[in-house]
Amino acid sequence: MSENDGFISYELQEFKLFEPLFRWARKKSLWIVAFCTGCGGIEMPPLFTARYDLERFGMMPNPAPRMADLFLITGYVTPKTLKRIIITYEMMQDPKYVLAHGSCPINGGVYWDSYNVVKQLDKYIPIDVAIAGCMPRPEAVMDGIREIMRKIETGEADGWKRYRENYEWYRKNQDELFGEGWREKDAKRWLAWL
Amino acid sequence: MFDWKLILEAIGMIIYATFVGFIFMGIERKAMARIQRRIGPPIYQPIIDTLKLLGKKESVSHGFIYDFGPIFALGASITALLFLPIANFQLFSSNADLIVVAYLLEVPMLGIMLGAMSSGNPYSAVGVQRGLLTMVAMQLPYGLALIALIQYYGSFKLSDIVALQSLHGWSILVPALLIAMVVFDIVFQAMLGLEPFDIITAPAEISMGPMVEYGGKHAALLFTQHAVQLFAETAFFAILFLGGASNLLELLVKQIAVLFIAIFIASIYPRFTIDQAAKFFWKWPTILGIIAVLLTM
Repeated sequence: MSENDGFISYELQEFKLFEPLFRWARKKSLWIVAFCTGCGGIEMPPLFTARYDLERFGMMPNPAPRMADLFLITGYVTPKTLKRIIITYEMMQDPKYVLAHGSCPINGGVYWDSYNVVKQLDKYIPIDVAIAGCMPRPEAVMDGIREIMRKIETGEADGWKRYRENYEWYRKNQDELFGEGWREKDAKRWLAWL
Repeated sequence: MFDWKLILEAIGMIIYATFVGFIFMGIERKAMARIQRRIGPPIYQPIIDTLKLLGKKESVSHGFIYDFGPIFALGASITALLFLPIANFQLFSSNADLIVVAYLLEVPMLGIMLGAMSSGNPYSAVGVQRGLLTMVAMQLPYGLALIALIQYYGSFKLSDIVALQSLHGWSILVPALLIAMVVFDIVFQAMLGLEPFDIITAPAEISMGPMVEYGGKHAALLFTQHAVQLFAETAFFAILFLGGASNLLELLVKQIAVLFIAIFIASIYPRFTIDQAAKFFWKWPTILGIIAVLLTM
């Protein structure tokens, strides 16, 4: 695909001189897009209240996907949600990280036998860190966030780069699940009911 | 020929104001966290946020006006800053600089609205509609508070007002101007975009309001603009009602005092809906403002 060619040489566009500074800044100010999927949604508020205060690491729940850096997938993902997750993920701007939270995004969890749960999220969007547990304790989530901070510092958290480079593969998996042209179809779905 | 001294002073003042404005934003977040019994982010957190936003590798643009909006807003805040008598030097001055500053502090809102409308997002449109209604509603008490001040001192010049205050004591010692200060402080809450009047951004209610489509470098520009704006607004308050300042440290203490009042109000009040805010602005602050104007006549 010709429009994808520009993205593959992303490494060259980095500001080499300021890169350590930017890496430190990215690590220190991760803004979470407030997208609560499934039952993990109720595990998000305790992270930001007085007991386990994540704001001391500079994290902030942010309602707008354009400004956010970190996407927490907190629970099972149905195909209907996955469409929204993919659109939100593509709206986020480029160094962006995904943290899968709980067992369901890893292998389906207790919904292994369900016709309507996406078993392996990693086939559709790239995951940087996964935390097991149903539900994980806030300490476990904080541990996962520490891990993602370490990965950002060393440059290992490269989900956004993998998504650019292997876009055809991810796109193929998404199209296999939803069928070709699902974005347009989903946008026009409600027109008949207006 | 260029006036190099003036240019260097202007650049120095902009750098100082941006830095202190970022620290003010950090103080705001830290103080709110402490009020909620949290530890809160470090005080330099907004600087890290801006650095991170500048380090984004992708910027979505929706056309020329979208790019121009934040730049226009930043330019207006910087211009407002240069007209203020910070400590004992004022870079630019005119015969009516109180009016100039009062309106330049409103212009950044228009810049953000301009950029936000061109993004075509419905959340932005709702935010813009709310923002413009808040602006219209707060003009009346804002104008009345300034009229009371101008009538009392008989001058439109900020430097005259500071000089008169250093002769006769601060404005808030005069009963009529104390009422004007209360009115100004209510309007100030809306100018800073804090609760109970944070209807413009309204986090979690209409996503992020006008800023919903801004990300990356545009958002970094808006953050810088907010820092400069915060510095200019708190300095404007300190100059009008708290007697200005003869050095930067004194100004800083007064600005932080003003900021803390705003934070304490913001952290205990919930958000008004837009119709309640418009009704409120045209009721109590307006009545108080009219009383203040009548007392100074």
